[in-house]
Amino acid sequence: MILTIFKKDLKLFFADRKGVLLTFLMPILLITLFAFAFGGIGGGSSKAEPIKLLVSDLDNSSDSKSVIASLQALRELTLIPKEVIEATNLVHKGKNVGVLILKKGFQDSISAGNNLPMELKYDAAREIEMGMLQSVLMQSLMSTVGQKSIKAKMNTYFDTNFSGMPQEMKEKIFNNMDAIKGGMNTSAENNMGLKMTSIVKESTKIGNLGLIQAVAGTAIMMLLFSIAAIGGGLLDEKESGTLKRLFYSPLKPTDILFGKMGAALVLAILQLVVMFVFSWLVFGLPIFKDFTSLVLMILATAFAVSSFGIFLVAIAKTRQQLQGLSTIVILTMSAIGGSMIPLFVMPAIMQKIAVVSVNYWGIQGFYDIFWRSLPLIEILPKMGILVAIGLVMTLISVLLFKRNVLKLMHN
Amino acid sequence: MNRYNIKQMIQVSNLSKSFDTIHAVNNISFSIRKGEVFGLLGPNGAGKSTIINLMSTILKSDEGEILINENDIKQNSTICKQLIGVVPQEISLYDEFSAVDNLIFWGSLYKVPAKILKQRIKNILKLIGLYDRKDDLIKTYSGGMKRRINIAAALLHNPEILFMDEPTVGVDPQSRNKIFEIIETLNQQGITIVYTTHYMEEVERLCKRIAIMDAGKIVAQGTQTELQKQSNVKEAVQITFQLISEVQLEQLQSQLQIKINQSEQKIIIECDVNKDLSNIISICNKSNLRIKDIKLKKANLEAIFLSLTGKQLRD
Repeated sequence: MILTIFKKDLKLFFADRKGVLLTFLMPILLITLFAFAFGGIGGGSSKAEPIKLLVSDLDNSSDSKSVIASLQALRELTLIPKEVIEATNLVHKGKNVGVLILKKGFQDSISAGNNLPMELKYDAAREIEMGMLQSVLMQSLMSTVGQKSIKAKMNTYFDTNFSGMPQEMKEKIFNNMDAIKGGMNTSAENNMGLKMTSIVKESTKIGNLGLIQAVAGTAIMMLLFSIAAIGGGLLDEKESGTLKRLFYSPLKPTDILFGKMGAALVLAILQLVVMFVFSWLVFGLPIFKDFTSLVLMILATAFAVSSFGIFLVAIAKTRQQLQGLSTIVILTMSAIGGSMIPLFVMPAIMQKIAVVSVNYWGIQGFYDIFWRSLPLIEILPKMGILVAIGLVMTLISVLLFKRNVLKLMHN
Repeated sequence: MNRYNIKQMIQVSNLSKSFDTIHAVNNISFSIRKGEVFGLLGPNGAGKSTIINLMSTILKSDEGEILINENDIKQNSTICKQLIGVVPQEISLYDEFSAVDNLIFWGSLYKVPAKILKQRIKNILKLIGLYDRKDDLIKTYSGGMKRRINIAAALLHNPEILFMDEPTVGVDPQSRNKIFEIIETLNQQGITIVYTTHYMEEVERLCKRIAIMDAGKIVAQGTQTELQKQSNVKEAVQITFQLISEVQLEQLQSQLQIKINQSEQKIIIECDVNKDLSNIISICNKSNLRIKDIKLKKANLEAIFLSLTGKQLRD
């Protein structure tokens, strides 16, 4: 008896080829995806994409040019010269990780052995990239201007305290210090004077970065799952016969699909509202700070996500297919879009791929509201992309629904 | 009224529908008059449900024409949908809704004004005998009760035609009788009914005219008498005597002037049972033949179906 049931269930499972494919393809894809995300592809030898650093040279001296040239030679960096204001704006909008400003008097400060007038303005939302950037910058600056600056400083010290010290003796001391390189490096780093400034000022950022990531990332991922489940009701209706009965009535097929989409959209909005209200009450996320942008962003995200959920339902022919398909697609989108792992942790190639994901645009939009405090006009393009994704998904769903659901119902 | 003057509610001409290589409906034609209960009788897979789906406009035919109250369903599907109600084979209701909520939902799809709909729901629930259970969830209903609500959901827009696709599948005899009563009441109210089933007794009880289907084709159609003629199935009486001699048998044969098949003390007489039985018994009595047992062999649909298709209906 048990064997008969066992055989029957296996037969049923393997009869649904698409379902079988998804069941086995899903873990393979996820493993590949996470391996990419954590940089594990290619036996650990994969190289990260260079960090794009904006640079503004206000000194325009031979020393400042020499620093820029040495930075440009580094494979870890791609330098993009920009005016200070434009560069600061780009960093503020999250387009670039930071801008290195070499201020007027840079060369004179080196010669005088003073702290160097340079500043690195950075996007604190890209903390991990910043850590890497800071380390690369320090090493390079130290090797190009650090020793020169210290020698100048010591020279001044000797001239002040030991006037008349022969140049030969000074050189001997400098050479001895060169030999103790580690000590000199530390000394140099301490004297570089690189000023670090977060571009999003404490007064303007209205949320905790980790909290925004957790709320936006999780909300969108869970929303995708729940919408796929709601849409799955359509397949239940097909199986129970109520869908067929709906077609006996004067309704058009698109009426049924749009009705379902409307319900999914309302539930998506409700779910997002509940999540943000919860985050406000429990974690103190300031949802009323830019309420208009938040409402519009919730609407755009809910539309994109509900359309995407219905799209998944329109492709699937059985519950089993929907289950496999939604799991694989939602987890993939969430992983590459930054719902599971913050985008800035991922390799640059993954950050480029992320733009195909609904999660990415949603999360970035919420970052713009709560972290970057951008005005509505600057967030509108991201909302526009979400709405465009929703419209495309709706169109495809209508075509697929007519083809798949109706055809299946008749057979 | 002359039968030729009665309005044709449904006219189907040369209808065909295939799914891949399977001819589900193969060049069939029939017409149904207003107020008629028309039966589509055939085994599972004969094409009955496909015809219902074609006539209810959710399937498109490969060939042929369907007119519903003179409206071509391909050109006027919205008008046709308003004229017809469909009782599907599956119990197509929302289990988590109450009976009344289900009916409000299904009625709203036909844009019946809320006030009228409310009154209709009340009347229909009374007709099907479930008014007292109107607020109970469908999932708490028995199979037979669900079947009745399944019928009610097709009546809310006052259709002129009702398609009933095997509406008694899986119900107990008591519920089946209740459903028959509902159908008879609806027919008395003037609704034209197309009834598909593979139960002959249902067709015999309910349908004035019948189309017998097999493998996508209509093998015969007409009233039961017309079908009997087409199939050459005769009614017969089987009489078992206590004792009958060859002489008595010859006398009986000459008196009745009909063919008699004899086997031991039994004779089988092919005749019109209603018309000839009393005469046969009277002659037997006059001939001092003592009858032990009489069995009537009616020309029922089972025999007709067997004769027309060469197979049992439940094959």
